[in-house]
This record gives sequence, C-alpha cells and structure tokens, in this order.
Amino acid sequence: MRQRVSPGLLAMLPVMALILVGFALPILLVLLYSLMPPRTFSLAGEPTLANYWAAVTEGYLLPLGWSLLLAGLTTLLCLVLAWPTAKALVRFAGRFATLATILIALPIFISESVRLFGTALFMMPGGGIFAGSLNALFGLKIGSILYTRTATLLGMVYIHFPFMLFPMVLGLSLVPQDQIEAACDLGARPFQVFREIELPLALPGITVGTLLTFVLSLGANAEAAILGGQAVIVITKAIEQRFGYAQDWPSGAALTVLVILVTAAVIFPVLRRLDLDRLIRR
Amino acid sequence: MRDIRRLQQLARRNPVRDMGLRSMAMTRRRLMAGIGAAGTLAAAGPRLALAQDRPLALLTWDAYADPRLLELWREKTGETVKTEIHISDPTSVNRLRAGETSVWDFININNPWARTQLWPEGLIRDLPQDRFQPLYEAMMPKFAPPYHWAMSQDGEHLLGVVQRYETFDFVVNSDVISPELAKNEGWDLFNNPDFSQRYGILAYEDWNVMDICMGAGVHPFKPKSDEDIAKFEATAKRWIDNAKLITTDFVQLNLGIINGEIDLYFTGGTYTTTSARLEGVSNLHAVTPSSGPADGKGGINWIELNSAVANPNEHPHALDFLAWIAEVEPAWIIAHGNGNLQPVAQMADPELFAKFTSEELEALQWDEFDERIANAVEFDIVPDYDRLYDIYSAAMRTRQ
Repeated sequence: MRQRVSPGLLAMLPVMALILVGFALPILLVLLYSLMPPRTFSLAGEPTLANYWAAVTEGYLLPLGWSLLLAGLTTLLCLVLAWPTAKALVRFAGRFATLATILIALPIFISESVRLFGTALFMMPGGGIFAGSLNALFGLKIGSILYTRTATLLGMVYIHFPFMLFPMVLGLSLVPQDQIEAACDLGARPFQVFREIELPLALPGITVGTLLTFVLSLGANAEAAILGGQAVIVITKAIEQRFGYAQDWPSGAALTVLVILVTAAVIFPVLRRLDLDRLIRR
Repeated sequence: MRDIRRLQQLARRNPVRDMGLRSMAMTRRRLMAGIGAAGTLAAAGPRLALAQDRPLALLTWDAYADPRLLELWREKTGETVKTEIHISDPTSVNRLRAGETSVWDFININNPWARTQLWPEGLIRDLPQDRFQPLYEAMMPKFAPPYHWAMSQDGEHLLGVVQRYETFDFVVNSDVISPELAKNEGWDLFNNPDFSQRYGILAYEDWNVMDICMGAGVHPFKPKSDEDIAKFEATAKRWIDNAKLITTDFVQLNLGIINGEIDLYFTGGTYTTTSARLEGVSNLHAVTPSSGPADGKGGINWIELNSAVANPNEHPHALDFLAWIAEVEPAWIIAHGNGNLQPVAQMADPELFAKFTSEELEALQWDEFDERIANAVEFDIVPDYDRLYDIYSAAMRTRQ
C-alpha cells in the first residue's frame, strides 16, 4: 500500500525552500567564512578558530557590551513608556486611540536615517531647532546632548518605541475589562490589579514587544552614528568595519556568528515560554 | 537574421485574442519554425540578447547617478541606466569579487584600486587604446598619457577614464583659523591640545588612516618601521579620543562648523565644502598643508577612474558610455553631480571651463587649486594598511 504524502507537508515545501535558501544557507556561509584564515576571501582555506580568538582578545567584547547594554536599556525604557500609552490606547478606544495610533505609527513609514537626521537638527546646540528657538524666543542658552551616549540611547528609544507599543496594545486588549472590574470590586489595589491580572494576561504581547525591541536594538547602528557621533562603537559598526574597510570577511563573519549566538541565547528560552496561539486568540 | 525576423513577427502578434495563432494564420509548421528560431537564438546568442535588453548598470559614486546625466544618455541612446552608489571603495571591490561582475557594466572608483586589485583579479576589462588614449591628451596636463593610474602595472593596458579629482585633506572655519596659518601648520593643528574637542572626523576610514600617518610624521605610502607604527598608534589614539564627533556624513561636520561646535575637521576638501560654499558659507575652507612627511608634501590627491567591469554578459554600449562621459555636456553635469561641485580632468577644454561661473570657481577655490594639487601626493595603496587599520579601529572601539 502506498503511503500518501501529507498535504500539510506539501504546502510547507515552498516556505521551507525559501527559508533554506534565503536564511539557512547564508548563515551557513557566514559560519564557514568565520572559520577561514583572517583576511582571506576563499572558503578553501585551512579551518581555524583564530577569528573567534581575536574577537575575544582584541577588544570586540567592548562594542558587543555596548550593544547589549544599549539594547537592554532601550527595551527597558520602551517597556516603561509603552505601558501607560498602551493602556490609554486600549481604554480610550475610539477616535482618540485611532489618532494616537496614526501619530505613533506614521514615522515608521519614513526612513530611519531621515528621522534621525531630523532629530540631530532638533538637538543641535546654538543653531539647532530646540536650542536655537529657546535662544531666539527667550534668550536662553543651553548646551546639547548631541554626539553623546545619551543621545544614542534616546534615538534608539525613539526609533524602537512602536515595536514595543503595538504588540503591547495587542496583549492588553486580551485582558477582559470585567476581570479588572471584579478585582477592583473585591478590593484589589491598582498595583495588585497590575501584577495579578493585567501583567499575566498581557504577557504574550509584552514578550513579543520585548523580543522585537531587544533584537532590533541589538542590531542598531544608525543611532550611534548619527546622534551619538560614534561616542561608542556598537557591534554592528565593528562588523561593518571588518567587512568593509578592513577587508577581513572571516573576522566580520566570526563577530556576526557571536552576535547570532548571543541573540539566540536571549531569544530561544523566551520563545519556548511564549504561547503565540493565545496571543492571536486561536 | 531570418530567425530574428521570425521571432519579431511572433512578438508583434496580439497574444491575448487567440494566443496569436489565428490572427497570424498560424499553422503547425509555422509554429514549429518559430519555436525552432527561438531555440537557435537561445543556444547561439543568449548573452547578446540579454545584454541588449538590460539597462546599463553603474556601480558608482554619487555624481554618475545624477538624474540629468542619466536622462542625457537616455535622450542620446534611448537606453535606461541602473545605478547604485558605493558605500565605500573596498565594499564595492568586494562585491565584484563576490560575483557581481555579472551585475555591473561600469565602476567609478578611486585610482589605486583598478591598477592594483581590479585588473590583476580580472574584475575589469581593458579599453582599446586607439579610442581612449586621445581622451587623455585633452585633459589637464597632470593626466598626460600614459597616465600612471590609468595603466596596468606592466604599462600595457589602459584601465579606465579619469574624471573627477581633487586633494582631500582637512577643512577649517576660516573665521577662526586663517587658511594661511592652517596651510603652514598642516596636520599639527590636530596635534595641538588647544583644538582638543574642537574638531570632527569624517569617517572615511581609509582616508583617516592616511591622514593619521601624516599627523604622525609618517609617509603613508611607504613601508613602516616599528617606530613608525608606534607613532601612528599614539597619534590615532589621541586624535580619536580628542575628536568632538565622528561621522560618515560631511553635512553634519559642516553644520558643526556653522554652529560653532567645531573649528575644523578631517578628512575633507573640495568635495565636502563646495555645495555649502556655493550657498554662501564661504568660511568653510578646504586646506592642503604646504608640507608634510610624504616626500615633503602634506596633502593627498584622489582621482576617480571609470572602468568597464568584466561582465561576462558584456553590455554593447559600456565603452560608448565611458567615452561619452568625457564630452562637454556630460562632464559638466558630472562636475555638478548630485548637488555637488567637483573639478574634472576635462576642465582643460576651454568650452567646458567657460561653462563654470565665477561663483562656482570661487566655491572650488580654483585660484589655489593648482597649488593644492602640487602640495599633494597621489592616493596610493598604503603598505601595512591592515596593521594600521586594526590599530585605528581598535582606537575607535576603545574611544574615551
């Protein structure tokens, strides 16, 4: 008797092929390059771990540390800022929420670099929009945080805020209003409502937002370059330098693999606890 | 030829009404003949057929992506052009190495790459000298044939057409630092503690490495001793730590000077100042040191070379485009490419030179251009670059 091929498997084949060619193979290539001798362009060299050793011993942990720190702080700040915003959007659903959502979502459709250059113009001391206006209108002279680490962090929060907010809105919309009311009727204080009702029920959305924000922030480079004046070198910049001006693909590949491993170490344990089915109400 | 006509007949029919069969009184024999013709062409000339159908593809710096230039070419030939602007010279060299020779027909890149890497690695093709060598005779005297950077290392092959060029060193706010003082002080301005946190760095990183060599008193294009490397390392660390800002965007640096945040920056020159100078910011002044450690010179002069990529599916008009860019109208557009203003080798032609206004020549600092070029050595491959770059990038990573 011939065994029938599952239609589900057949339907998956195109996507699997796409993932294999577009995702798995490039990562395999990067992995292979990372094992080649430094500053070579061939995949036929003698495999070596020299690039990984150099990544650890030649100061690349510093940019990796900066990227992790900035990504962590960005995620934390976005969480704190997005929670009240998401609650307001969910509670006051209607015209206000639509307008607020449009205002927050619209910038996503504008190039990140353009937005960051706009922010740089805003922050510039003296002739910048903020400092210049204060000076012209009120005679106030202020300094600027432009080209500092603080500016880098603020830029990252500004760019990644929507990636935290919208999953959080989705998560909070899963919290039934009657449960909150019941808790309040039974004497729960606001913090208890938050901790025992809202947080657990909205957790899938919060988790997705946290993961998205963290991963995107870890790969961010433009904020440090445009607003930070490269006050710090983030790991993506270091990778770009190895592939570009340094002409050292194997070293760039090794750093890339390290970032993938760090990202995976953060993401996979969280993903295993995440019930996406629940989030999309399936 | 008969096969091509047969395919053209097939293509002219309306395929929607009846698949084109009835309207052309298609018989099985004619259909088979058409299929046969397509097969013959596919076997005999697929590359030619494809090359004629696709747009000319330019991997280039910004001037050659100027819409006016592309429109002028389209008016002349009816062909469209595809362009992509470099991220950096080495990145584009890597892209050709990685197999993109089959994507591009033209590459516009700084002078050392063609001679030392692109040609030896078979990534560009040589140009017919009887057609292209006369272009050099009409250029500025500096480019008299055989022009070193346009020739292969054995001197046998012509590798491209030069066009934009300048000396690319540093820029000062002339209201704060007089250009004469800057010229005489040269790179020591960046060693002066008074200018700590008063300058920026334009992170064109290969150029930064060469400039730091100059500041360390080391010839950038000669082999380095351990003592030279130690001097380079100390200078790199100091210059990077003392910089107010480091960016890949020269507009940010010009704004920094306008806003009074910084008084000077490296690397910079005509390329980074002219558009602002044309708008009246005349205190942005490109400076080439009057002396330095490179055979007594302190400036570095770049020349862009335009070459034909060794595309296996060679575009039939790639060489025509290379010859055309040296004509007056295209050369003028390229000199003004993408809102910038840049000297071109073809300015030796009085007809082209007459098209530049006095304001434009003032923006180019044309009165001192020859002197600046004379005080500069030509951009070259930096011996020990890998070691120097690693020191430079380590200093960037650990910036205080």
